[in-house]
Parts: sequence; structure tokens; C-alpha cells
Amino acid sequence: MNRLAAALLVWAAWAQAQDARAIVEEAQRRARSGSQLYEGTLEVIDAKRKVSTKRWVYERLGSAGNSKAVLRFTAPPEVKGVALLIHNHPDRASDQWMWTPAVQRERRIAFQDRKTRFFGTDFTFEDLEERDVDRSTYRMLGEEPIDGTPCWKIESTPKPEARSQYTKLYLWIRKPDYVAAQIDCFQRDRVIRRIRYSDIEKVQNIWTARRIEVHDLTRDSRTILRLEKLEYDVSLPADLFTLQALRRER
Amino acid sequence: MMLLKLISWPYVRKHLLRSTLTTAGIVLGVAVFVAMHTANQSVLYAFNRTVDRIAGRTQLQVSAGEAGFPEEVLEKVQALPDVAVAVPVIEATVQTGIPGMGNLLVVGVDMTGDRSLRDYDLETADETIVDDPLLFIAQPDSIIVSRQFCQKTGLGLNDRLTMQTMAGPRQFTIRGVMSGGGLASAFGGSLAVMDIYAAQMVFGRGRRFDRIDLAVREGVRVEEARERIQAALGPGLQVEPPGSRGAQFEAMARVYSMTANITSVFALFIGLFLIYNTFSIAVTQRRSEIGILRALGATRGLIRNLFLAESALAGLFGSLLGILLGVAMARGVAGYIGDYFGEVYGVGEKAEEVSADPRLLGLALLIGVATSVFAGWLPARNAARVDPVKALQKGRVQVITEGENRIRRMVAAAMLAGAVACVFLSRSAFFFYLGYMLSVLAALLLTPTLCAVLTRWLRPALKWFRPVEGALAADSLLQAPRRTSGTVAALALSVALVIGLGGISRASYSTIGTWVKTSLNPDFFITGSETITQRSFRFPQSFAEEVARVEGIDEVQPVRSTRIIYKGTPVMLVAADVEKIARRVRARVIDGDREAMYAKTARGEGVVVSDNFALLRRVKRGDVLEIPAPNGVLRLPVLGIVLDYSDQQGTILISRDLYKKYWGDDTINAMRVYAKPGVDRAALRQRLIEQFGSRTRLFVMTNEELRAYIMKLTDQWFGLTYVQIVVAVLVAILGIVNTLTVSITDRKRELGVLQAVGAMRNQVRHTIWMEAAAIGVLGLAIGFAMGAVHLYYILDVARRDVAGLRLEYLYPYGIAAVLVPVLLGSALFSALGPAESAVRMSLVEALEYE
Repeated sequence: MNRLAAALLVWAAWAQAQDARAIVEEAQRRARSGSQLYEGTLEVIDAKRKVSTKRWVYERLGSAGNSKAVLRFTAPPEVKGVALLIHNHPDRASDQWMWTPAVQRERRIAFQDRKTRFFGTDFTFEDLEERDVDRSTYRMLGEEPIDGTPCWKIESTPKPEARSQYTKLYLWIRKPDYVAAQIDCFQRDRVIRRIRYSDIEKVQNIWTARRIEVHDLTRDSRTILRLEKLEYDVSLPADLFTLQALRRER
Repeated sequence: MMLLKLISWPYVRKHLLRSTLTTAGIVLGVAVFVAMHTANQSVLYAFNRTVDRIAGRTQLQVSAGEAGFPEEVLEKVQALPDVAVAVPVIEATVQTGIPGMGNLLVVGVDMTGDRSLRDYDLETADETIVDDPLLFIAQPDSIIVSRQFCQKTGLGLNDRLTMQTMAGPRQFTIRGVMSGGGLASAFGGSLAVMDIYAAQMVFGRGRRFDRIDLAVREGVRVEEARERIQAALGPGLQVEPPGSRGAQFEAMARVYSMTANITSVFALFIGLFLIYNTFSIAVTQRRSEIGILRALGATRGLIRNLFLAESALAGLFGSLLGILLGVAMARGVAGYIGDYFGEVYGVGEKAEEVSADPRLLGLALLIGVATSVFAGWLPARNAARVDPVKALQKGRVQVITEGENRIRRMVAAAMLAGAVACVFLSRSAFFFYLGYMLSVLAALLLTPTLCAVLTRWLRPALKWFRPVEGALAADSLLQAPRRTSGTVAALALSVALVIGLGGISRASYSTIGTWVKTSLNPDFFITGSETITQRSFRFPQSFAEEVARVEGIDEVQPVRSTRIIYKGTPVMLVAADVEKIARRVRARVIDGDREAMYAKTARGEGVVVSDNFALLRRVKRGDVLEIPAPNGVLRLPVLGIVLDYSDQQGTILISRDLYKKYWGDDTINAMRVYAKPGVDRAALRQRLIEQFGSRTRLFVMTNEELRAYIMKLTDQWFGLTYVQIVVAVLVAILGIVNTLTVSITDRKRELGVLQAVGAMRNQVRHTIWMEAAAIGVLGLAIGFAMGAVHLYYILDVARRDVAGLRLEYLYPYGIAAVLVPVLLGSALFSALGPAESAVRMSLVEALEYE
């Protein structure tokens, strides 16, 4: 009897994990596109409530953990031309390079630096990576609404090989459209970063959050990213996502 | 204790001046010892502190000497499993042009990840700028400076600071101010942080890093990680904790310690004789006191211990004074050493505070007291042997028995024979230093005999000059051989020390002068730094080709010199077009065939090393050197040894092609430029500056300027030697003053008798003056001879253990000539007071004196 109960419990946990994973997988499937292009406005509000604004253009080719992206700053003038090239891999951490036009040099962002803040924002370099569903394990924690929308609350634990800075993540995925509504990022048992997704709209048949707010709870600073002029499946040449292209200042 | 209070203290109080002078040798010996070592330690401490503060939480550093290594090494290090964080660093010292600020140490770091290892503690920062690395990195003129620097210069956030760059002076913007402590206080606060890639551009470093700072993963032992990382990177790169840089610095500073030790030992020796002399005389003077004490039941042991306690107290007093003086002197010496190291090694470090190591002070105290007790031992033994019956009778008893003299002579002869034997075995350091010590001891033991012989020779001359006074002066010296020889030995030691230091200085100037003339013969030297010893700025190799095309230039020899770590010590690696250099330079070849060795070196089949490298590293022609390089270990035979003083730790000459291959570095930091015959050199220099000066940082030094610069460095190097010479002369003068004061007091009765039997005051005066002059002559004569031997040894010390300098034996006749009037004048001057006191003393008191 006891054995049967234990087996049932294991099965239930497995089924629940399968459910959680399936939800994440479905969310990823629904967000998938061949490419993406947007202009982002970034507002960083520090602990003293001082606001600084930057703008960038983001281009991505490929999807679901196997993509390449370029993020090029356009404003303020001091940072114009600074670019970040990201090569995401499904089986390992991404490769990232930064291009600084003033010194005409690219620099590789070391794996060890993925946990450092992305140039004064509340994102870390790791947060800019696309996460493949296979690089974490999942557990359904239940349901919990966010801003009145019912959500699944899922615990995602990065696998050791992912070498993430986070020990676990809590994901809130909206039931109606499978869009992430909130992510709490933990280091040990403490939430250090909270990402809220809002202004969710359907763009070219893909439900997309147009406003992403990252709250660094340790520093009490916030970064708000607004996605403008968003387009999916635009034609982007593959050689745009190379170091050579990065060096060609635009 | 009671005896010290009742017997010794009244005596000291009565002869306060003499007692104070007695300790002069100990004071100066201890002072020199404490000053030099404290200064060295303070500079080293300041250097280590800078290394620590810059290192932050760094546990290990990957480096390849001063040359650095290609950027690719960073990814290799970051990928190693033991490494948690690895960040690249470059360092450069630059001039700001701000009066009184000296150099600024610029540390280039990767601002994206460096905060994992270093805390910048930005205090007054405009958060949107400093806390935003993107803005900092995007603008390569961004720098962070320390609060101390701002306070000193009056600059603040967003102010502009001019720094020398490869493109000439450029303005940088202060975008962050670090608060005090930690990194901000490194290099005395004269520190700036900038983005590493901007620093590479600004300092012409190409795609290279100076080093990688790293922290190991949690739970991994640092030493085990070090071994694994070293194995993974290969021997071409050094993986060491940050503290090991201090050990390399220490090796460079060792030279100063060595010379300081020799001077200290000599000064202590001199002190030993002064104390011995004074105590011997004190025993004679206090003979009746001793007799009374013995008659009252004091044992021999008690008397001996009383005198030993007195000498220990004298040593304690002298040592404490010496420590105080030494610590006071240390600040000046530390500043001097710091400046010199900054000039020569580019790692100059100002010791902000001089803190003496208690262990060093304890050792100095021990040495001072031990020297004094040792010096007092013989007089104390004599005091213990005083016969109470004889002691209570009036009259002189102090004579050296012929037997005692014979034993001394025999021991001296044996020591001399030992010293000669040691010369033949001097390949071994033990026998060399044993021979050195034996020769000095033999000379000292022979001093009484030499004094007697020389005084007998002098007697007719003195008598001829003043028949009565001359004879009396000579006889007085002969009758008190212990007193005379003690003083003369102290004086001779001082003279020998001066001769040694002066000789090594003369030989160095002569040898370096010859080398400068034969080896540094280009018309111009073009560098990217103000001096040839700084290598922060580098040129691309194409620049040499451009310079060669300038009208009027015959040949340009590009040179890349860099300091590498060879078996734990920094040595200079010179990569050059060896064939071209061989055609122009006629450096003295110590070992090897000139033509063959340069031809093979040019083909990359071996190296030519400097003589000092060969001597200090015990390397012979044919030996294979293993030179670590970022791209592997170079195993090359030594094809020849030449005289070259480019670097104090030694030089290795290799072909530039080999250097480019193994170090992956094609930059150059100097050009040797030869003008065509008949070309106006001043006009050519102007042309070079006009053509290139506007687009790159460029210094064109003429041959004369370079020679003057090297001689200035030599002056700086010997600056402290001159201080030691002054100390030695001072000790000599103090010795004479002390001895004469003691001698007059000792001879109070004798001088009283002289006056009582009708001697005129002037006769007494002249007698004392002539005695003083005779002591001076004896000291000078024996000192000059001892100096000749001392110079032989000290040159060999410089050659084998200190700087690898093969110096010519050149007796410093000039200094010897200066010493004659200085010391004879001092002797006569110091005799004035005692002579006057002798002629003015009460006859009754004098005749009663015993």
C-alpha cells in the first residue's frame, strides 16, 4: 500500500513537472519567430530616483535558444554606436561581444561576467540570453493571478551545466496567452531581481509584452524597457550577426 | 646595581663628554644599520602595499614579466575550471605635468567585470556616469582618480586632467572619485583607473595585457589551483600570488642592504675599538678604586661583571641613540631609494611612512650591546686581575708584555696566511668571506706592532721638527701601545672604509664611462618615454622604417627591451637587430668569438648575455638558458658574454624575430639612430621632432644627453655611498677626539710632572698637538694599506654577490689625498681642547691624580 502511494506520489510529481515544462515549452513555442526587430527605450531609475534614458535598436535572427542578436545603442550621443553581439546556444551559455566605436575595439564578455549588470541597467548579461527550455527543470507551484490575469506559477531550477547566477526562478505565465507576466529571480532563498511584463499586445500574431520592468531588490533600482517599432520575421542578413559586421559602425 | 650607582655612575658623570664620545661608533654603526634597513623595508612595504591595494581580492596573477602577453591568454585562463574570475590589467606610469605630483600610476582594467575583484568605492560620483560603465567605456577619456589625488591637485569630478599618451599630451575627464583606503590609497593615492582597451590605445600597447588578476573558485585551495593553472598555461607564463612581486622588488633592493651591511660592520668595528680603548684607560685610571673594592672583599668576578655591565650599559645607550638617529635618517634614505627605483625600474614607490620593524630594532640593539660587551671584555678581565696591593700604590702599570705582543703577532700571521689561502679558494663564497674577515682581523691584530714600528720611524722626524716635544710625543705613543693602537685601529678602519667606498665609486664611474663610450654610440635615441628606463609607451615597428626614411639618417636600429622574470629575478631582455648592432657597437667581449656569437644570435641560434648576468646567475658560455615566454619556453645556448651595464640585474640579447615569435609582440620602445656623416645633428633632430612629434609621443635624445642621463643615474646610485663616506669620516674624527680626550686625562699626572720640572705651557701644547698629528699619520698610513685590501674584497663582493660588476681595481688616490688634510686637520683641531685643558690644570691636582 505504502509502495503504491509512494509510486503515485512520484508519478504525480512527474506529471506535474511535465505539465509545468509543457507550459513553458508552449509559451516558448508561441513566442517563436524567425527574427525580431525593435527599438528599445531604456529608463534606469536608481535608488535615489534619478532617471537616465538610453535607446537601442535590437535585431535577432533565429529563436528558442539558437539565435543571434545585435543590440546597438543609438542614444544618448555619448554611447551611440556601442553594440552588443549575442550568439545564443541551446546547449551552453551564450557568447557575447561588446563593440566600443571610440576605441575601435570589441571585447568579449566573459562567462564569469554574465552575472554583472548590463552597463548600468538592472539587467545582467545573463538576462539578455535566450533561455532554452531544456536547460532547467520545472515544478508547478500552483496558480496565482498577476494584475488580475490568472497565471500558472512555476518554479524553474537551472541545471548545474547552465551555470546560472540564479538558484531558481519563479515564473508566472498567463493562462490566456502563455505570455510570461512576472519572473522572480532567486539567489539562494532570496529574491534579488523581479521582472514584470506588461502592455501585452498581439504583434503579427505573437502576444508580446511591450513593457518590461526589472526591479533590482538589493539596490532598489528599476529599469524599464519599452519596445517600439516592433516587428517579427523581418528579413535580416546572417552576416549582420558577426564580429566583422559589429566593427562596421552604423 | 648598587656598585653601578656608587662606583660607575660618578665616574661617567665626571667624564660625561668622553663617555658620550665613546659610544659614537656604536651610535653611528647602529644608525647606519637601522637607517638603511628601515628605509629598504619601508620602500618594500610601500611597494607591497601598493601591490596589495591594486590586487584587491586577487588571489593569483598570470604574467610574463614586463612584456605582457597577447589577449588570447585571457580566454584560456577564464576557461580553466579552477578560475572563478579572471580580469586583465595593464599598468603604466605617466606624467601629469602637475607641479610636485610626480608620476601617476594608471591601471587599465576591464570595467565590465573588474568589480568582482576590486572595489572602486566611488564616493562623490555622479551615479549616472560612474555607476554606468557603458558611459565610462564609451568615452575613452574617462578616468577615475583617488580622493587623495583630488585633494592634492584641487581637481574634482568632471574636471580635465592632462596626461602623456602615445599621441602626445591628451586631456582626460575625471568621471569618478574613489574614496580613501583600498585601491584609492595605492601608490600614495597617485593612481588613476581607466578602461583597459582605452589604455591599450593610449599607451600603444597593441592587443596585449600586462597581467591577469584572478580569483579561484570557492572551495579550491589557492596553491593547488596555482599549480594546475601553471601546468595548463605552461612555463612561459608565471602564475604567482600578488605578493611575489614584492619578492622580485626585494631582489632589486638587495644591493642597498649589502653595502649598508658592510658600512654598518665597519662602523661597529670602529665603535668596538673606541669602547675598548676607553675602557682600557678607565681600568687604569680606576685602579685604586678597584684596589679598594678588592681590599673590601669584592671578588674578581664581581669586578669583571661591574665593568661588563658598564660596557653593556654604554652599548645600550649607544644603540638606543643609534636607533633613534637611524629611524630619523631612514625617511630621507627611503625617499632617495624610492626615487632611484622609480628612475631605474619604473616601479618607484614613495614610502609614505617609515615604520621600523621591531625585530630589526631588537637586532640592532643586540648587535650594539654585544659589540660593546665584547669590546669591554678584555678591559673587564684586566680589571678583575688587578692586584689590590699594587693598585693602591701610585705609578703606572699598563704595559703590554712582549709575550702578549708575540702571541698577537703569531695569531695575526696565522690569520694572514689563512686569508692568503682563502684567496685561492675564493670561488666558494664561504672561503671568500672568511678570507675577507681574516684579512681585516689580521690587520687589526697587527696594528699595535705596526704602530710601534711606524712611531719609531716617525720619531726622528718629530724630533727634528721639535726636539723635545717631538720626542715626548713619540715616546708617549710608544709607552701606551694599547691606547695608541686602539685609536689608530679605529681611525685606520674608518680610512679603509672610505678608501673602499671611494674606490668602488671611482671604478664604477670609470667602467660605466668606458661602456657608455663604446656601446652607446648612436647619434640619437628615440623613445616614447621621457627616459630610456621607462617603457610604458611603445611604437609600432613600422615607425622605425618611417624614421629611417628621413633625410640625413644613415641607420635606425629598433630595440624592444623588456624586463622578464628569469629564475625568480627580473632581468632585462633586449630584442634587437643583432647584426646591425654588432656592426656598430664594440662592446668588450668577456667570453666568446665576436663575429660568430653575434651572427648566430642574429639567426636566433643563441643569446649573448651581459657580464653581470653571467656573474649573478652563475652562467657560463655554452650553458643553455631556459627563458620563459608567453608562446613557450626558449632554450638557447649562451654564445658570448659581453660587458654591458644596461641593467643592474643583467641583460640577455636576442634577435627581434625570435622575440616577436615567442612574445607575440612586434612593438618597439626605443630606436638607436645613426646620422649620415657630415649631417648637421641639431637640424636633424629638429626635423625628426617636427616630422613625427605632432602625431606621436616622441623623445629624441642626443648621445650626450643619454650619457649625461646614465651618469646622473650613476650619481644617484652612489649618492648613498657618499653619505656612508661622510659617516665613516665622521666616525674617524669622533675617534680622534675621543682618544685624545681620554689620552690627556690618562696622562694628567705625566703632563703635570712635565710642567713641574719646568716644561713651558707651549711645549706641553706642542707635545699634545704632535701626538695627535702622529696618531693621524699612523691611522692614515695603516688605513690606506687596509683600504687597499678592503677595496680588493669589496670589488669582488660587488662582482660576485651584489651587482655582477666586473670593476677595475683603481685606488682612489683623489679621495686618499683629501683624507690627509681632513683627518690631520681634525686630529689637530681635536687636540686643541685637550691641550688647553692640560696646560690649564692645577699642578697639585695633576700630581695627585691617579
